[in-house]
Amino acid sequence: MPALVSKSLRDYRRGLIGWTLGIGVFMLVYLSVYSSIVADPDTYGPAALAKFPGPLKDLMGGLDNFTSGAGYLQAVAYQMFGPLLFTMCAVTLGSQVIAQPEERGTLELTLTLPIDRRRLLLERFAALALSLLGIALITFVLVAGMASALDMGVPFVNIVAAHTGLFLLVLFFGTVTVTVSAATGRKSLSMGVAGAWAVGGYVVETLGRDVAAISWLRWLSPFHYYLDGRPIYQGFPTGGYLVLAGATIVLLLTAMLAFDRRDVGV
Amino acid sequence: MTAVVETEGLTKFYGKRRGLEDLNLVIHPGEVFGYLGPNGSGKTTTIRLLLDVIRPTSGRVTVLGTDPRDASVRSRIGYLPGELFLEGRERARDYLAFLGAVRGGVPRTRIEGLAERLEADLSAPMGKLSKGNRQKVGLIQAFMHEPELLILDEPTGGLDPLVQQEFLTMVREVRASGRTVLMSSHVLAEVEHVSDRVGIVRAGRLVAVEDISALREKAVRRVEFHFDAPVPREAFENLAGVRDLRVEGAAVSCTIDGRPDALIKAAARFTVVHMVSAEPDLEEIFLTYYSDEEARHARAGVEESA
Repeated sequence: MPALVSKSLRDYRRGLIGWTLGIGVFMLVYLSVYSSIVADPDTYGPAALAKFPGPLKDLMGGLDNFTSGAGYLQAVAYQMFGPLLFTMCAVTLGSQVIAQPEERGTLELTLTLPIDRRRLLLERFAALALSLLGIALITFVLVAGMASALDMGVPFVNIVAAHTGLFLLVLFFGTVTVTVSAATGRKSLSMGVAGAWAVGGYVVETLGRDVAAISWLRWLSPFHYYLDGRPIYQGFPTGGYLVLAGATIVLLLTAMLAFDRRDVGV
Repeated sequence: MTAVVETEGLTKFYGKRRGLEDLNLVIHPGEVFGYLGPNGSGKTTTIRLLLDVIRPTSGRVTVLGTDPRDASVRSRIGYLPGELFLEGRERARDYLAFLGAVRGGVPRTRIEGLAERLEADLSAPMGKLSKGNRQKVGLIQAFMHEPELLILDEPTGGLDPLVQQEFLTMVREVRASGRTVLMSSHVLAEVEHVSDRVGIVRAGRLVAVEDISALREKAVRRVEFHFDAPVPREAFENLAGVRDLRVEGAAVSCTIDGRPDALIKAAARFTVVHMVSAEPDLEEIFLTYYSDEEARHARAGVEESA
């Protein structure tokens, strides 16, 4: 592993451990109450939830079939809370790639090493991607393990598909943070752009299914390419995932070019 | 002999603010070049341009014969930033090992040897280093790969006097081995004992490059004599090199340019009880010898903004 990748991983380590624990514990706690939800269809079943309007249910995480294994996983792990927490994690870690060390002044010495700018950004990004992959793998083992232990009846491959999508989604938002940082060097701006895009994208994608006025905006929402194919029910939505991965690569290339052109730390 | 650092018309503007304008500078192999100027005068801007941290607005710069944008040249440079920021729980020793590895490998013994010379503590987490220790870690990383060119931005800040002496010895060793040092400071006293030449930068412009011995001749010193009885003013008037003369009873104070000989001989006629001679103040060199230069630029500045 290149020295800068392992060094960057050490830089991110603290946040990485915290977020892994946080997301892991959240999944564990919420998934473990599945049995009691299934046991109480009068409160949580489709009939009981029918009184809420569709868009609201979508916005709250897609409560359409809360008492089925797939519906529960979708609502808790893959539509709202999972992506919410994991995106916050990706954006926070993403701000540590360039903007945070630049604002704190620790980037200057790194920049004067015999590593050219593009490689520097690429290697620090690689450490971010590896970090997010690590969290994704750990939480995947957790979710898949719980789903099987609690007899949720969701095909394994669909959990793989949903988790892959979750990883691609947060990698995209992490990359947005990196790109804005690479171009401007400003931490709060980069986190703000990524955060606003995430929240806006989520609202547009979930409400946009029923509200025609904003549904045309859905193509701008990264969530669209992740949720629209309903991976937990239908497996890999290959096209959507390719869009997410492609957009991430385009952003990364933009980040490399932007970072290579500008003054750092002024 | 090719120059180690060569700039031609090197200019950097931050938006409309001038960082550095039209710098023409040549630093030769094997010399210690002191780069002097008050804070904000353009020293750090110059250094960052040499290291490709920032890019010139116009002009040309070569370092060790190549464009600084070529990253590989940086393994032959040792750099100490003016403000070194280190953070995290990583130990200083591990950070130095990382920097060494990226620069092509540095023997562990050399790092430990430098740490011993500077009495640096490398076992502490970087975020908890004292200011002095942080500066020592910065010096170790700049010297440890035995670079052909050392660029040191305000190197002695935060070091106690004994360590400063050790640092100056290290600089002399670098020169003795034929390598080159560029060190900046806002205090002449910090660089005058090791520098061969000094460049003086003021408001973004290089106003003079001098041999250190020539500069010392020009240096202005504040001198005070206290006598055992009041002295007549006439005895000190119109002496060579004496300015700003004040005679108050038994006390005489003035500034002198160059040699203090005439003043000393005048004072020797009375009984001297006490004498104070301050180190030459760089600021006063500016005010006296470069005041014309400055006034010209000040006018140019007014015209620019008008």
